Amino acid sequence: MLRAFFVALIMATPAMALDTGRIFVSNERSHDIWVFSPDYEHIATIETSRRPRDMRLNADRTLLYVACGDDDVIDIIDVDTLEVVDSIPTGPSPEVFAFSPDESLIYVSNEEDSMLEIIEADSRIVVHDVPTGAEPEGVISSEDGSTVYVTSEVADMIHVIDTEAGAVVDNIIVGTRPRRFVLTPDTNELWVSAELSSEIYIIDRATNDIKEVLQFLPPGFRPEDVTPVGMALTADGSRGYISLGRANHIAVIDGVTHEVIDYVLVGRRAWSVALTRDESVAVVANGLSDDITLVDTKTLRPIRSIPVGQVPHTVVIDD
Amino acid sequence: MRALLILVISVWAGIATAQEEVKIALVGLDPDPRYDDAIAYARIETSRQGDPEVAARMAIDDLALLTDARDLTIGFSAVRVAEAGDLVAAARALAEEGAKYLLLDLPAPEADAVAEALGPDGPLLLNTTAPEDWLRRRCHDRMLHTAASDRMIADALIQHFVTMQWQDVLLLHGKTERDLARAASFTEAAERFRLRIVETREFDLSTNPALREQNNVALLTGDTRDYDAVFIADSFGEFSRYLPYQTALPRPVVGATGLVPLEWHWSLERYGAPQVNSRFETAVGDGRRMTWQDWSVWVAMRAVLTAEAKSRDRDPAAIEAFLRSDGLRLDGSKGAQLSFRPWDSQLRQPILLATSNAIIGIAPLEGFLHQTNTLDSLGIDEPEFACD
Repeated sequence: MLRAFFVALIMATPAMALDTGRIFVSNERSHDIWVFSPDYEHIATIETSRRPRDMRLNADRTLLYVACGDDDVIDIIDVDTLEVVDSIPTGPSPEVFAFSPDESLIYVSNEEDSMLEIIEADSRIVVHDVPTGAEPEGVISSEDGSTVYVTSEVADMIHVIDTEAGAVVDNIIVGTRPRRFVLTPDTNELWVSAELSSEIYIIDRATNDIKEVLQFLPPGFRPEDVTPVGMALTADGSRGYISLGRANHIAVIDGVTHEVIDYVLVGRRAWSVALTRDESVAVVANGLSDDITLVDTKTLRPIRSIPVGQVPHTVVIDD
Repeated sequence: MRALLILVISVWAGIATAQEEVKIALVGLDPDPRYDDAIAYARIETSRQGDPEVAARMAIDDLALLTDARDLTIGFSAVRVAEAGDLVAAARALAEEGAKYLLLDLPAPEADAVAEALGPDGPLLLNTTAPEDWLRRRCHDRMLHTAASDRMIADALIQHFVTMQWQDVLLLHGKTERDLARAASFTEAAERFRLRIVETREFDLSTNPALREQNNVALLTGDTRDYDAVFIADSFGEFSRYLPYQTALPRPVVGATGLVPLEWHWSLERYGAPQVNSRFETAVGDGRRMTWQDWSVWVAMRAVLTAEAKSRDRDPAAIEAFLRSDGLRLDGSKGAQLSFRPWDSQLRQPILLATSNAIIGIAPLEGFLHQTNTLDSLGIDEPEFACD
């Protein structure tokens, strides 16, 4: 009886992953999201609130959340109908955000007023406003949700925030203009890109100490041209893809030894990178050439570049 | 003794604790002839309309978490002196009170006098608003420069000329020392790229009919070989603002109006600049926008605080070595990592080519290369540089 009830409940819930394989690209300047089919055909353009930047799918991949910096909202898009179905108000200039593991909380960095805002997803109540260094950007939650890491682009540090207390409990000083995070699949390491010092900092989660600093130099470039921002790791952690910004390349690195395997030429100011589920293609958003570049992860060659809206920011793939 | 203590506490805003205190002062003139109200009313970009003290305080706030994390307390004071003759005494007094850094918001001769008087054992001086190349060539041991030099400003504009294939230039300038310095830098920079200055002419602000060749725009810009653009050096800005659209030949006007090379402009939309501008506008509260002087003071304070907080070694010599090293990698929200050039202690930085409401280019422009750092395509390069 009870079991039957559960089955009925699940059946009644429309929230099922659709496995659309769709590729979403947010465009800061044209205020829209371009949607591509799995074979990279442009199938829709979704108008959003102004200046859409970071995007995340919910866990069952039915809804796409997008932070819209000039309208101070996170828009919610139905992955099936491709319509904006709701908006969550935030503080001024939301840039990057993360969900708590159970999706009950949204952690969003407010670039203009230097706060990490913790918003309860259902009630939309702001549970905590945690002051950060100026221009907070990257946000990532620990796997258990107890800790959130935030970068301050101006203070050159990572704030370690206790989400329960809503307070900064530790600060890690890193390189210049720290931007984004990834957690390694084993969760032991936190990687952070420092755009203006051309480095990736690898932080030991257990101690919050800096374990290693990675540097990149594609042939023919100088260190100051290398401005790493976006990062993507394979599910097994064996490989990393780092977008190198002004150096117009991505670096492909060994996830364990951290050695550079190759550099792949993409578009101008390679900003963010995402992997398809089978990890055969890395999709790179190029902020200054208004296109995305598809990179074959086997041959490590660019397949082609596809035009998108103005100033592409983030790529999210539903698969 | 007690009176002295009260005096010191009233001057320094920092709180005395067990933490290490770093004392930094901003030193300027009030009134400063460069920012005369009578000049500033024209609202031209080259005149400042407010005190950059707010920019220094903003930098302290911006980096507060970083300095806190290192247990550093920042003691800040802003000192304005009415008479240029009292500057040296004021700077000495600050040094005696333990100021480690003085941010100088002074004209070049006054900045030079302070450096000369305080000598090699004094506080580290940061020249924030004097662009004169001769001050760099003075090679004061204890002086760094965050204001872009006249030559850097000129080189940025010349890169645009080369990119646009504007070969022939009509050069106009006023009578002041500043105008002559700007004109001289422009001429030097133009020569390096073999641009042709078709004529150099001095303008006059009067309406005296006997000087009409100099005060009438049509006459001043006519009766010459064809030119691709007009460059004007005009620190007052009063003549230049009436120059565009009236030149004898329909040509763009650059320099003090039209396309203006600057360290900073409110219309820069990339590299986190909008956030810096909006923090500034909130901090200043009277609606004024961040000028290049504000940026220069802000970045000087950032440089000092970054070096203090990020140096791995607390030894003052190590901190200064880090401040002067390539490792500083300072972020000035102009998209490049900034550091001081070892040969002239000048902050290498991109220069914005701004109109009244847009950034047309950010020098170094594409295609201008350099053997070590493209930012060194702006300003006097190491092989050409010599101390006086």
